[in-house]
Amino acid sequence: MVKEQFREADVAKKISHVTFGMMNSQQMQQVSHMHVVSKNLYNQDGSRKPVINGVLDHRMGTSDKENSCESCGKGLVDCIGHYGYVDLELPVFHIGYFRTTITLLQMICKRCSNILLHPADKKNYLDALKRQGMTYLQKKGMKKKIHEKCRKVTKCVHCGEYNGMTKKCGMLKIIHDCYKPGRRGGEQIIAEFVGSFENAKKHNGEIEPLLNKVQEILNPLVVLNLFKKIKDEDVPLLMMNPNVGRPEDMILTRIVVPPICIRPSVVSDLKSGTNEDDITMKFTEIIFLNDVIQKHRASGAKMQMIMEDWDFLQLQVALLYNSETSGIPLHMQPKKASRGFVQRLKGKQGRFRGNLSGKRVDFSGRTVISPDPNMRIDQVAVPVLIAKILTYPERVTAANIKLMRQLVLNGADTHPGANFLQQRGNNIKRFLKYGDREKMASSLRFGDIIERHMMDDDVILFNRQPSLHKLSIQAFYAKIMPHRTFRFNECCCNPFNADFDGDEMNLHLPQTEEAKAEAITLMGSKSNIITPRNGEPLIAAIQDFITGAYLITQKDVFFDRSRACQLVSSMLSAKDEKTRIDLPHPAIYKPCKLWTGKQIFSLLIRPNKHSPVKANLRTKGKNYTVGEDLCYNDSFIVVRNSQLLCGAMDKGTLGSGSKANIFYVILRDYGEIYAADALSRLAKLCPAYLSNRGFSIGIGDVTPQAGLIMAKNQLLDDGYTMCDGYIRDLEDGKLQTQPGCSEEETLEAMILRELSVIRDHAGKACLRELHKSNSPLTMAICGSKGSFINISQMIACVGQQAISGHRVPNGFEDRALPHFERHSKDPAARGFVANSFYSGLTPTEFFFHTMAGREGLVDTAVKTAETGYMQRRLVKSLEDLCLQYDMTVRTSVGEVVQFVYGADNLDPAAMEGKEKPMEFHRVLDHIRATTMDTYREEPSLDGPLLLSTTQHLLSKAPWTNCSKDFIQEIVDFIKKTANKITQLREEFSGGAQNETPKVIYELERVSQSQLEKFLECCHDKFMRAQIEPGTAVGAVCAQSIGEPGTQMTLKTFHFAGVASMNITLGVPRIKEIINASKNISTPIITAQLDVETDAEFARVVKGRIEKTTLGEVSEYIEEVYIADDCFILVRLDLDRIKLLKLEVNADTIKHSICTSKLGVKFQDIEIHTDSVLTVSARETSKSSMYYILQNLKKMLPSVMIKGITSVTRAVIHFDEKKGDNSYKLLVEGDNLQAVIATKGVKGTHSTSNNTYEVMKTLGIEAARTTIMNEIIYTMVNHGMSIDIRHVMLLADLMTFKGEVLGITRFGLAKMKESVLMLASFEKTADHLFEASYYGQTDTINGVSECIIMGIPMSIGTGLFKLLYQYPF
Amino acid sequence: MAGVLFEDIFDVKDIDPDGKKFDRVSRLFCESESFKMDLILDVNSQMYPVELGDKFRLVVATTLREDGAPDDEYNPANTEPSRADQFEYVMYGKVYRIEGDDASDASRLAAYVSFGGLLMRLKGDPNNLHGFEVDSHVYLMMKKLAF
Repeated sequence: MVKEQFREADVAKKISHVTFGMMNSQQMQQVSHMHVVSKNLYNQDGSRKPVINGVLDHRMGTSDKENSCESCGKGLVDCIGHYGYVDLELPVFHIGYFRTTITLLQMICKRCSNILLHPADKKNYLDALKRQGMTYLQKKGMKKKIHEKCRKVTKCVHCGEYNGMTKKCGMLKIIHDCYKPGRRGGEQIIAEFVGSFENAKKHNGEIEPLLNKVQEILNPLVVLNLFKKIKDEDVPLLMMNPNVGRPEDMILTRIVVPPICIRPSVVSDLKSGTNEDDITMKFTEIIFLNDVIQKHRASGAKMQMIMEDWDFLQLQVALLYNSETSGIPLHMQPKKASRGFVQRLKGKQGRFRGNLSGKRVDFSGRTVISPDPNMRIDQVAVPVLIAKILTYPERVTAANIKLMRQLVLNGADTHPGANFLQQRGNNIKRFLKYGDREKMASSLRFGDIIERHMMDDDVILFNRQPSLHKLSIQAFYAKIMPHRTFRFNECCCNPFNADFDGDEMNLHLPQTEEAKAEAITLMGSKSNIITPRNGEPLIAAIQDFITGAYLITQKDVFFDRSRACQLVSSMLSAKDEKTRIDLPHPAIYKPCKLWTGKQIFSLLIRPNKHSPVKANLRTKGKNYTVGEDLCYNDSFIVVRNSQLLCGAMDKGTLGSGSKANIFYVILRDYGEIYAADALSRLAKLCPAYLSNRGFSIGIGDVTPQAGLIMAKNQLLDDGYTMCDGYIRDLEDGKLQTQPGCSEEETLEAMILRELSVIRDHAGKACLRELHKSNSPLTMAICGSKGSFINISQMIACVGQQAISGHRVPNGFEDRALPHFERHSKDPAARGFVANSFYSGLTPTEFFFHTMAGREGLVDTAVKTAETGYMQRRLVKSLEDLCLQYDMTVRTSVGEVVQFVYGADNLDPAAMEGKEKPMEFHRVLDHIRATTMDTYREEPSLDGPLLLSTTQHLLSKAPWTNCSKDFIQEIVDFIKKTANKITQLREEFSGGAQNETPKVIYELERVSQSQLEKFLECCHDKFMRAQIEPGTAVGAVCAQSIGEPGTQMTLKTFHFAGVASMNITLGVPRIKEIINASKNISTPIITAQLDVETDAEFARVVKGRIEKTTLGEVSEYIEEVYIADDCFILVRLDLDRIKLLKLEVNADTIKHSICTSKLGVKFQDIEIHTDSVLTVSARETSKSSMYYILQNLKKMLPSVMIKGITSVTRAVIHFDEKKGDNSYKLLVEGDNLQAVIATKGVKGTHSTSNNTYEVMKTLGIEAARTTIMNEIIYTMVNHGMSIDIRHVMLLADLMTFKGEVLGITRFGLAKMKESVLMLASFEKTADHLFEASYYGQTDTINGVSECIIMGIPMSIGTGLFKLLYQYPF
Repeated sequence: MAGVLFEDIFDVKDIDPDGKKFDRVSRLFCESESFKMDLILDVNSQMYPVELGDKFRLVVATTLREDGAPDDEYNPANTEPSRADQFEYVMYGKVYRIEGDDASDASRLAAYVSFGGLLMRLKGDPNNLHGFEVDSHVYLMMKKLAF
């Protein structure tokens, strides 16, 4: 009677595993219901009946409603379909196994079919194979090894047959090159073979020249016979699973015809007849060819004809399986492209990704979204029209029968109604639109199921694509409303990344009570205010709410009683309808009673004194200046016991992405309900205030005043003068080059810096000059929308237009546009826009602006595709990492990836500090503030007592099983506080001789009970921060890294300290790291030096590392011809060598030349003086003296005389942060090992940004650290913060196999066992064919496999099972 | 007088030294005559304009009632005569922080009071800030002195 509880696998049988294999002819016949022989589809008598034994025979099922299946008698919906089979006249290769067939042939003797292994090897391998539980990967490796071994054997050990190379030749042909001349030991065989043609040669002379090119064609018939002869005991050596397939099964002699329901024939309306599926058509062709071959054979036709037909049959069968077969000869090419079985499976719309991994669903809706601040943050307004279609099956009980009766009465057309009624005990659904509803309502019994309309407070799932992270689908409560859009509170825009410019969103209605409960607790929007990426709030005030809150909390906002009450009452609707409000004392009593905006704002956090919320916050605002509370911009926010005491609220304290958010504080200290309520009240108060006050923008807001124009002109003049100065310096050759840059590059860098500064300064000037009532300025100040740069662009100056990080390049000969002088370098000619959007752009400026604009558009388009694919790869590789009950992170097959998640078992979403579970200072302040009244009478603890009490408490009960690190953190914090107390007491009591004033004890006051409360709170927060077993840490990690990727601008380059040294950043860099690319675009080795402070020393080491060629250090290299000799004279530039601190001299150069690959002998080089060398040439048989000399002259300058080959450049980096003249080397290029080995480099402190390089030199652990550091570095550069634990997990996954595996299809194949998972990722068909060759078993553990098979997965709430079976 | 925490005469030394940031609020920097206390005070300049060099009497008390009994809840209907009648400008706020400014002069304490966002900092000898307790509500009363 009660609604039955959800039971897993309510079916007779449960799938435990899937084994892939090959069907042999007998099996095909067994599964088939009929033999297909007729090439005709329909009877030609116009009866529209399929031909008996034809491809569309109804014994194989049906594809239309009129006919039922002749095998099972069921209709279209119920018949699952039945197979048929076609016998092929001649065997053909299976296109999917073609490559495998060749490798197999390479492994066996082409005469006796024995495996080409020496008996000793064979025994070894057989022994190795006896080992149980070989993984898929090991099997593949073993096969590769055996294959390699076999290929090397040319002579069969069993029959002595000579085995040559077996290879593919043309399309679907295999040749065996057994008569290749020049093979040792093969002479006799060849002679024998050639000898057998003696007679033929006599009659046909043309044969002779072809005889030594003879190869043997292995046609399917031959191969089939060879495979059949393979002994059973050899089959395991081929790594096949003898239970599910033998080699000969790879050659097709019979094909199964799939059921009709997967290849329906559609009766065409337009033209008479039917449209047949590609598969059906292919089968008719195959049967037709079969017939032709049969006829030709019977009639004894020419051999060529039969061979031609065979080839054609072969092709058609190949196309049936894979229509994208390449290498089809031109005359055989199919007329129109068809869809083979492989095409049906693969790709985004294919069976795996389109139908098995993701399915279409019922009970869902989609429409345009719009904002509604009157919705609570956990509500979505659903249009009545949708509510009447989406239904929920509700069981009638004693508690709801009255309502259900009413719903049945209302029927399908009136809103709170019902669409269907299903009575208990029978399976008939009755439609409530028609029929006697009154009767049905009155005869309602307990246990009947009513499919009622969606109603208020039903749990729904709300989603917006692209669903990049788990917050893209959240559970809300429905609120049925008129009109046609989904409406929700703007605060919830952030997680969906939604705006209201026409976005559409999806809605799903869960259909069971269990689903509803799980959805609202796990996915509820209130439970997902913070993002697991870094624990920052994502659902928070946005745009107008921030502006409104900022304006209402200004210092000079006062309300009289009526206005104050009106504002307060604007908050009171929906859930707060009956909330009591305690109006505080007016801040100003006299001359008249006035309340301030801050007092009103405080009410939305804590409306009355019965509310338990006592939030505490003390933080700097966006425009903080000096003096803490007394900041003259009023931008130091203090909230004490839910009262806003000073500071104006802004983005930092209201908006997303900040843990100093007041709602975040409420959420962490008082729970989600209070935070959500406060947020809802904010969403009502702020628009009410803002619409009354008025907040608008007009032309006046962007019109610059005289002062601003002057300031801007001054800035422009200064900037231009500076640029002109630089240009003149360059022309005069006086420009000081930056390290590692040419003069031109230096100029560009300096001008770019100068010009970009202008815009920033113009922004600052705007802030200074504009009146504070200026709306754009207000928005920029409070952070709700726009920045100072945007304002500056509107009012003052649009600024420099950059194209891929540089000034506008030449579009014409030596100039950007023909409006300018050639070679002009001044700002305007290179894309500097001095005008503002208000003043209007000149034509050239406008053109430059469109160029930069276009780049932005292209970037966005490119980026979306790129990051989307990256996200998919990340998710696929991380999806089944899950935290087990033993707190280890394991893959679906139980391999340990991390022993302790994130090294501390803490949930990234619960971090209150920066990657720490707590912000002690805030919590202590909070405890002090909230318990001030309660423990008023207790004495304040002094420093030493505080510390000892803490240590005593921490050694006791609840703390004994807490982590040592955390306890140490607490002790450190308390120690700091204790020291402060001691210091303060000394200061104030020591100075005054008389007794210490009582007020001293108010300073940093902590009483015994407060301390206990504090520690209790610490313990509580720490325990809550522990991550829960079952958490899908992998999926969360993938989303946390993939999602910010989509927000990254494609900013590729960045200066690593030195202007010339660019390193790739942004999406390309992240891609490089996770792909584990071996050749990254900008490899840089950071080398610390043994002597850090000496620039000279740095230059010496640089000389040792940097690649230096002979040409770079010689004054000249010239040919000398004298009477008795000719040679090349090299004159070294000793000054330059000295200047560059190169450790080379004539001797080492001589050595370098000899060891270089010029073929110069040691005695050919003569050293005359310190700076003069001669290299004489030696005539060889191949080349004359002159040419060798010329060649030497050409090659000598590029002889490397010092440094590391792979290093292109090394730059001395002056570390400003470390201060006191600290130098290090930045080495561009690879070969970390050589750099570490260089004298003068501190090897223990040198690292590279190339993970592969680091792994090679320093090992896998170092590679893991590098991956982590590089990802974090890149993310930080784009202003994104990601919790270290996510990055750690990714790095661990990439390295846990002992080598660096990329998140690519190659890496994935080495990480995962499951065939289904790999097939659903990429290369679907390849993985499937391979798996069936090996006879691989998929045990269906992972997420992908479970989804494909429709089994609940063992992640999250599915992790545990009840061992006790309750007897029902 | 019962409930009075502090009383003194102040000289206005400076007004809005960092520029006038708010239309209706000015920040006064004052110094007391007898106790040499430093005072920073935000006042609603629209309702109660104060000029540089003005002198005023300032009283900080815990209640407006003459008998010193606490008046907890705000009652708009209350029209009884009160201490506020003798003053021109009265504010209600909360002491939220008492701190030793560790910056320059030692042994001086500062009490911070927020009157719904209008701040007051009273800084000076700890003995003069005797009755100030964090979280206590106070009334600030001002009256300009004629000279």
